[in-house]
Amino acid sequence: MKFAKIIFIIFALFPFYLSAETAEEQGLRIAKASYENGRGFTDMVSDQLMILIDPKGNEVTREVSGKTLENLDPNDGDKSLTYFKTPKDVEGTVMLSHTHISDDDDQWLYLPALGRVKRISSSNKSGAFMGSEVAFEDFSGTDYRKYEWKFLGEEMENNETFYKLESYPNYENSGYSKRISLIDNLNRTYKVDFYDRKGELLKTLYLEDYVLYKDKIWMANTMKVENIQNKNITIFKWLNRELDVGINKKDFEKSSILRLAD
Amino acid sequence: MLKKYIISFLFVFLQYLVASQNAAAIDYKAYGFIQPEITTFFNGDGRHDQSNSNQSIFVKGTFITYLNNGDQKITINTTGRIDEKDSERSYIDFQKFKYEQYFDDITLKIGNELIFWGVNESFNIVDIINQSNLAEDISGTKKFGQPMISLNYNHSYGNFDLFIMPFFKERVFPGRNGRPRLALEVDKSTVAYESSSKKNKIDAAVRYSTVYDDYDIGIAHFYGNNRSPELNVNPLSQKLDAYYPILSQTSLDIQSTKGAWLYKLETLTAENGEERHFGIAGGTEYTIYGLRETTSDLGIIVEYTFDDRNDFAFNNEGVLALRWTKNDIKSTSLLAGLVADMSGSSNRFFAEFEQRIRDDLKVFIDMSINGEIDADDFTYAFEEDSQLKLKIAKYF
Repeated sequence: MKFAKIIFIIFALFPFYLSAETAEEQGLRIAKASYENGRGFTDMVSDQLMILIDPKGNEVTREVSGKTLENLDPNDGDKSLTYFKTPKDVEGTVMLSHTHISDDDDQWLYLPALGRVKRISSSNKSGAFMGSEVAFEDFSGTDYRKYEWKFLGEEMENNETFYKLESYPNYENSGYSKRISLIDNLNRTYKVDFYDRKGELLKTLYLEDYVLYKDKIWMANTMKVENIQNKNITIFKWLNRELDVGINKKDFEKSSILRLAD
Repeated sequence: MLKKYIISFLFVFLQYLVASQNAAAIDYKAYGFIQPEITTFFNGDGRHDQSNSNQSIFVKGTFITYLNNGDQKITINTTGRIDEKDSERSYIDFQKFKYEQYFDDITLKIGNELIFWGVNESFNIVDIINQSNLAEDISGTKKFGQPMISLNYNHSYGNFDLFIMPFFKERVFPGRNGRPRLALEVDKSTVAYESSSKKNKIDAAVRYSTVYDDYDIGIAHFYGNNRSPELNVNPLSQKLDAYYPILSQTSLDIQSTKGAWLYKLETLTAENGEERHFGIAGGTEYTIYGLRETTSDLGIIVEYTFDDRNDFAFNNEGVLALRWTKNDIKSTSLLAGLVADMSGSSNRFFAEFEQRIRDDLKVFIDMSINGEIDADDFTYAFEEDSQLKLKIAKYF
């Protein structure tokens, strides 16, 4: 009897809780679900192509390959190792990142021309990655906890309904004042508009070629960034992506950079 | 002679290793560049009758292969130069020619290797393993490969390295027609050593390094022939006689990375022959990212070095430099600054510009302008050597 009473109370309160979810809570809930959509990969290897296109249509292609180690501690970030293949003058460059959620990332760089491993500053959030339209924070800032969220409503685009979320970075030195994201009903991010520090639209990111890995993880294998202000376009493609390959944790330590270095 | 045998043996061994693999499965990387250079000197002919111009070609080639699922690695990294004027500057060096075997926590390495210790941008006082090639670059930052057997143990508390180094290599100085060069030639026939085994002395070093939060820390000890010889004027030959004492050096290097600020420190205490000396060098680097709402960065570097030997060339020097990186597709960057003896006896301005002009071509423009130098400063010999150098690298 007592048990039924409790059930009754819970049911009675349930609609109240639903309606009580604020736009901020709803935004956070969707952002968290979207983020968790891409989690559980354990580790990952891939080759990446970056195509830089200027307003005249001139194209250059950059190639890197990388490994990522998922941090099973939900309160700390992933580790990644990137090996640069082109342009040829940077061939052999290796970058190691230990990302953190609330703290600055740790980053080390091996440059063949110098022949030494350097710890570098990671406060360069808004800097361009290899002359592209992709900023460092676009890679390291994928964790939903790095932003404040707000649900703006639903929006139709290409005959599909998306959740529309607004987010504000809560870390220092961001190049953005806000981002507007469209997320589909499978919690996959479809599009993000980035606004610069002055509040003007800077660039739009499209995430395409979603592939379902391990029957539960959605990852976009193409990322296209159109800079609205300078009209440059960057296309990022992941090739040969493999998950859960069993990479040794020690590969992501500073001393292991030299195993990859020339 | 022994060295030649060992190198031949290593070569055959590596060939055997490669040949023993399934030929189709061998995965290797090979790349490099060729870099013609032209130098022009602003003050006409040099103080030692050197020419007012020079041409040179520098090459570098790299070959890497991993065998047995990445448990073994072979690295060959060769540099060389053909110089129009200075025969000492024409050379070929296997900077890396090594075989590595990876065990769970241990790395075994045999062969020629370049080992860099330190954190500073300009005064790398603790960097001791490799011999400098002063003909290649008078600053001493360009090094020769050092033959070694090395073990690395990767423990959760940090990394422990052991280096055993046979085959000492004498320092290479610019030749008679080199510019810049020392006031007198270094006599290669009179080289002397404190150690009775001379250049056959087997040198050794240990290093512990670790990362703790924002700190990268290294502690090391080196025992062996000093890479830097004492140079004494021989009154008969009017050349410099080189003497290599035994060096026993303990060093510490720390970098602290605090946001856009990097703090760097290198310090050492060493017994060089009969005398003990102390050195410290360090500074800071601050970077302004997104300079004036553009994509470019500006780094400000300030470093200072002190050594308690009065007769040591760099006993009280400072550097102030700016590094501008445009972060564009062409990777345009400019490093410019001032190096000064703080007692006021010499100073030098330098600028280094680089830009990718095609996917496989990069242009470098280096400028160095000497201020007035006191006659008793050892860099007085370079006073007239202000120069502009154009280098174009073609990558393969």
